[in-house]
Amino acid sequence: MHPRRRAFAFLATAAAVAATGTVASLAAQSSPRSPSAATPKRGGHITIARIEDSTSFDKTNVFQNESIWIAEQINESLYEAGNDGKTLKPWLATAYTKSKDGKTYTFKLRKGVKFSNGKPMTSADVKFSIDDARKQAKGWGYLDAAIKSITAPNPSTVVFHLKFQWAPFVADMALFANGIIPKNFAGQSRAAFYKHPVGTGPFMWDKRVVGQSVSLKRNPFYWQKGKPYLDGVTWTFVTDENTRELQLRGGQIQVDEFPPFNSIDKLKKTSGVTMSLFPSTRTDYLDMNELYPPLKDVHVRRAISYAIDRAAIVKSVLFGYGTPANSQLPPQVPYYDKNAGGLQYDLAKAKAEMAKSKFPKGFKVQMLVGSGAQVENTIGQILQSALKQLGITVKFKTEDTSTEFNDIQSNKYQLGFSYWTMDIADPDELVTFALDPKGGAFSFYTHYNNPTVTALSHQAQREVNPVKRAALYAKVQRIAASQANLGYLYYSPYRWAYTSKLHGFFVQPLGNYHLEDAWLD
Amino acid sequence: MSLTGYVVRRLLQLVPIVLGVTVLVFFLIHLVPGDPARTILGNHATPAKVALLHREWGLDKPLPVQYWRFLHRMARGDLGSSLFYSVPAGRLVVQRLPPTLWLIGLGTFLSVLIAVPLAALAATKRDRLPDQVVRAVPLVGLGFPPFWLGIMLLLAFALHLGRGFPVGGYGAGPLGHLHSMFLPSLTVALAIAPILVRSLRASLLEVFESDYVTTARSKGLPERRVLVRHALRNAVISTVSVLGVNIGFLVGGTLVIEQVYALPGIGQLMINSIFQRDFPVVQAVTLVFAIMVVLVYLLTDIVHALLDPRVRFD
Repeated sequence: MHPRRRAFAFLATAAAVAATGTVASLAAQSSPRSPSAATPKRGGHITIARIEDSTSFDKTNVFQNESIWIAEQINESLYEAGNDGKTLKPWLATAYTKSKDGKTYTFKLRKGVKFSNGKPMTSADVKFSIDDARKQAKGWGYLDAAIKSITAPNPSTVVFHLKFQWAPFVADMALFANGIIPKNFAGQSRAAFYKHPVGTGPFMWDKRVVGQSVSLKRNPFYWQKGKPYLDGVTWTFVTDENTRELQLRGGQIQVDEFPPFNSIDKLKKTSGVTMSLFPSTRTDYLDMNELYPPLKDVHVRRAISYAIDRAAIVKSVLFGYGTPANSQLPPQVPYYDKNAGGLQYDLAKAKAEMAKSKFPKGFKVQMLVGSGAQVENTIGQILQSALKQLGITVKFKTEDTSTEFNDIQSNKYQLGFSYWTMDIADPDELVTFALDPKGGAFSFYTHYNNPTVTALSHQAQREVNPVKRAALYAKVQRIAASQANLGYLYYSPYRWAYTSKLHGFFVQPLGNYHLEDAWLD
Repeated sequence: MSLTGYVVRRLLQLVPIVLGVTVLVFFLIHLVPGDPARTILGNHATPAKVALLHREWGLDKPLPVQYWRFLHRMARGDLGSSLFYSVPAGRLVVQRLPPTLWLIGLGTFLSVLIAVPLAALAATKRDRLPDQVVRAVPLVGLGFPPFWLGIMLLLAFALHLGRGFPVGGYGAGPLGHLHSMFLPSLTVALAIAPILVRSLRASLLEVFESDYVTTARSKGLPERRVLVRHALRNAVISTVSVLGVNIGFLVGGTLVIEQVYALPGIGQLMINSIFQRDFPVVQAVTLVFAIMVVLVYLLTDIVHALLDPRVRFD
């Protein structure tokens, strides 16, 4: 192109960027890539840019996804969630048997598995790893609360003795926090070990520059022969979404984590870029604090739920890339009930519910929104307008996200926003957290308390028959939905943009990804 | 008083300033709502887990006790550990200082490189077209937010026109740093230069009316020599003060540039640690900022004195 024309074209597009923050491009690729039929090629290094830096690689105590998804490349579990987010498949174990009373699980370990330091993995390592994980009172130990003891009768067998029947047990074992590490932290202190952890995963520790990057390199002892294909992976920290996109287009990075919804269409048309939307377990909610009297009234909560125009929210906030939520659980979780009956938009019904409530003329309510949180502010404005028609006057209280979080967890809010993504391929964690007032978070900080729901969820925890368990969770979801324990807003996908030269990249509904399957052209 | 004595006296003044800043910041950051334990635990925060973390970090102690412990550690050179990264806060700050120093240093250099010739051109062609253009165009630059300017420069020089620069990042090695830091520093320079241009132009116009410049001209000296040897040397004195103030604002004001260019500087560190309520890091960064600002103003005064022999240190 002639230099002057190119300069003019640049100026013209610069004006477009000023208005929309985007630059138009060329061909389209959008759907999530299923594993490629082409032959994987060995070699190459990819850089993944994400919005936050990792804080810690102590998998037993870290709750941050940016740390967890890296730790999972190093440490693996006995079982892992499948690509559908619901099934569990053997991983470091090849099979398990369960005793008749359901309280003893015997796992057979896979032969030939080694840690990245070359030492073979044995049952002693498994026992050590999970005993350590379940001791972590400030971490994930609570998910292993059903375990009474662990024994290792021989190097390839591990036996778990439970206190009681526990239906989510294998799903809990698949949690990253229960990933297997060398016994006694390979002779180091705990703190030193987790500065550069060792595991059986496809990648091993390379280096880290705090606040900048984390790099892993191929584990030469990895048990899946021929994998990983990549020589290494680096995760960088780039907060600005525009910069991440420019880096992807400039070839400086190969993967852009979570591009904003408003750039999906543009990225689909960008030459050399694959824009993928992976089904996720993310569900966004409107929290209604029942410590505030009007919100304790079930008819008020039902009215608010009916007044949420989810389709409008999906269109304006997600640019159409999402679906209205109809249950506490998302579709990618086992025992999700598509007939849960989460209340959908119907202003007439909303008004009818208000008429039945103790506050038929409406009331004032404060809505907590994060400063700079565009999504919350947009949804808030849509809700404010809708609730006004019910006589509910919404006043916003804007706070920085740390204060907002603190206030929700300290019950200093009336209406607020939250979301959840699953950590295990089982509904128990979310159901306990969101519906059991003694589940640790006062029912997602709403103080919702329905003894029937609580009893059903406890029953489901101990019910190992999947058909009966499905029926229990169906009841839980339907009752909770009818009582509008939360305003279920929407389900949204994970958004990942990456170079078209990258194949085999797949993000599971739980959010994690197996980079041993990824390869570069 | 000699220069050395002056510098020592000013450095000693650092102590009460730094102490005052740390007291203020310590109590402010602890009294602002928000809890690092809840931020770390996220949705999984329970009262029991929060209490455990508070105990581990000493946050369950009364505030004056926490401050006393902080002072005690600071006296030993220990700024505490980052609650999020579990690395010494001081080490974290030192690691993140170089990109910010590059940004400030190279940005200042480029701003002077841009401002001096433009101001000289404007002053020597007073009220003519070059002067009009020089006075108007930088004002446009002042109106562009640094965020937008940064993205434009990236699009232009890192993506479209030859891809001569990386899209953000800090690079590796001195040459890599120079290459990566050029566009961000240019963004800084384009923000400061308009102010310097106007200040220097005004000073030059004033100096052109001076007796010694008239004398130099009447002696037949070439205009360029009059400008460089006599006018600029004297006109730049007041502009140095303006530059010093702007650099002072840059310390801590580089956050937006660091974000756009993905630079791991202390501006980013500061804002992230405030949002996370990573108290030790906030305190450590504030300490460093306070020291840097004092040093910048000291340097400004020294340069001022070196340029103007009439300035005395007492």
